[in-house]
Amino acid sequence: MPVFAVGRPLILGLAAAFLCLGAARADDMPLAERIALCGGCHGEDGNSHMEKIPSLAGQPAYFIMNQLFLMRENVRRVEAMMPFVKDLKDGELNALADHYSALAPKASGETIDPALVERGAALVATHRCASCHLPTLAGQEQMPRLAKQRLDYLIHSLKEFRDNKRSGADTLMSNVVIGASDDDIAALAHYAASR
Amino acid sequence: MIATCLPRYASLAGVCAGLLLALSPAVAQTPPGFSPLDRSNPQASQQDVNLKPHPTPPTVTPVDKLPVDKLKLPAGFKAEVWSHGHPGARTMVMGPKGTMFMGSRLIGRVYAITNKDGKREAKVLLQGLTQPNGLAIRDGALYVLAINKVLRFDNIEDRLDNIGEGVDLTDKFNLPPDIHHNWKYADFGPDGKFYIQVGANCNICELNPGMHGQIRRYNADGSGMEIIARGVRNTVGFDWHPETKELWFTDNGRDWAGDAGPEDELNRLPKDMEGANFGFPYCHANGIPDPDIKRPHPCAGVIMPAALIGPHAGGMGIKFYTGSMFPPEYRNVAFVVRRGSWNRGQKFGYDVAIARPQPDGTAKVEPFMTGLLDEAKNEFHGRPTYVLPMQDGSLLVSDEQNGAVYRVSYSPEENPRTR
Repeated sequence: MPVFAVGRPLILGLAAAFLCLGAARADDMPLAERIALCGGCHGEDGNSHMEKIPSLAGQPAYFIMNQLFLMRENVRRVEAMMPFVKDLKDGELNALADHYSALAPKASGETIDPALVERGAALVATHRCASCHLPTLAGQEQMPRLAKQRLDYLIHSLKEFRDNKRSGADTLMSNVVIGASDDDIAALAHYAASR
Repeated sequence: MIATCLPRYASLAGVCAGLLLALSPAVAQTPPGFSPLDRSNPQASQQDVNLKPHPTPPTVTPVDKLPVDKLKLPAGFKAEVWSHGHPGARTMVMGPKGTMFMGSRLIGRVYAITNKDGKREAKVLLQGLTQPNGLAIRDGALYVLAINKVLRFDNIEDRLDNIGEGVDLTDKFNLPPDIHHNWKYADFGPDGKFYIQVGANCNICELNPGMHGQIRRYNADGSGMEIIARGVRNTVGFDWHPETKELWFTDNGRDWAGDAGPEDELNRLPKDMEGANFGFPYCHANGIPDPDIKRPHPCAGVIMPAALIGPHAGGMGIKFYTGSMFPPEYRNVAFVVRRGSWNRGQKFGYDVAIARPQPDGTAKVEPFMTGLLDEAKNEFHGRPTYVLPMQDGSLLVSDEQNGAVYRVSYSPEENPRTR
């Protein structure tokens, strides 16, 4: 396994590479091929081993459909995803959502700090995370699974909500994390990843 | 981006500095003296902790699945599907040449709906915006307000096939960049000024009264900003009384303080009281002190609502009716939309109400278009968001959940027994 450098250029590079692979059969790609393409970054079984790339296994089907839709419409702007989502039809969004929601989530293997998990548990209670994401943090409907998600991706996402870079399906996440410190975010992420 | 602090904020220089710090990704500091987080108390509210927002489908609801048969109206009225197939349907404004423009939130689109051979045709005019709920028409130009974005498209109805990039007025309006409660409602008032909402960036928190929880007005080019209402948690609909010219606006009450409320408000800004305080975060509804943020005399100097419109009702669009199709008792009454609750065990709202202004400045509220809420099953079939009176006197109602618009008309001969 090669050691990847962090950051966007790499992700964009990979996106470009996969785009080239897929270019000859852009439309009407069979679902299995589509899934193989996604698996290049998100993991064959939907559990990502790549830095800051989210795991999709066990995410609620509605959440996956909704986010793919929003990325396709360029409402949620993830440049690296654009080549893969821009031609997806509504039916394909649903097929991908059904596929990934049925897979089993696995912990990423990143190092979890028990002290942060303990702090995170208290913050999860005061921030009422379970109301939307469920006490197990498995997510439901438009709200994502947080349990067993990659730690680095959780931190990245929480900061995006805090720093007004992402609005989410509703804007409630911005309200929940507004003013949170980097330490609070780390604690929330360590707790969620450890569930 | 907050590049400069307006002179108006000079006395709040510390706050401006704090905001600049908060915007810098390296420093996640809270402005001094302001509470960073939602101040609600889960134990005290005694609500079902599993309450959660309802998803808004981004996909098309087939026309035969629209709940138009469920709609209930007073005798003589009827409702029919006016347009459909445009997911996320919310704000509606009519261009002088008959094009209807429609804003949305989640789906990030602005639609143009035109008449073609007697049928409505919806096309996506803009997409990829962050919650473009604020639309207004002035001198043939369409103003589009998304979160932290203001665009103007001149001569829009002559250029529907190629509207171009528009004029970006974002810097001129210098709105706060926060996302929560910052999707916009905007309209031109009878004074020619451009009125814009700026919500509280939280459920319940201490806020900077110079920045959040307001209605502002501007000149059309973004100059001359004035705060004309303060302590407004989040209004997403306003209109002016046809005779008094006073501003009436809906305001959504806070969450997680119990199923019973505090109730959403229908407010009236009395004449010559620009800048008045409507109570948030200390005083809610008709004088209820906040249970989590306490201070002495929380309601002192606060303008009480013209009417309460129900617990967690989701008060949305409001329009006064001046048409001649409906019976005379509907003249100068306000149609008020209630999108329906999420932060409440027994669902409430999902309807269009009417508010009849009274001589003492209050209003009487009664239901008008119901049927989208099945109270026995505690389920809803649609979520109305905005109303638009048409030239012929009929009333359009948008349904965000189903991406449709219903037309309500009155004809006692044809519909003697409706409801």
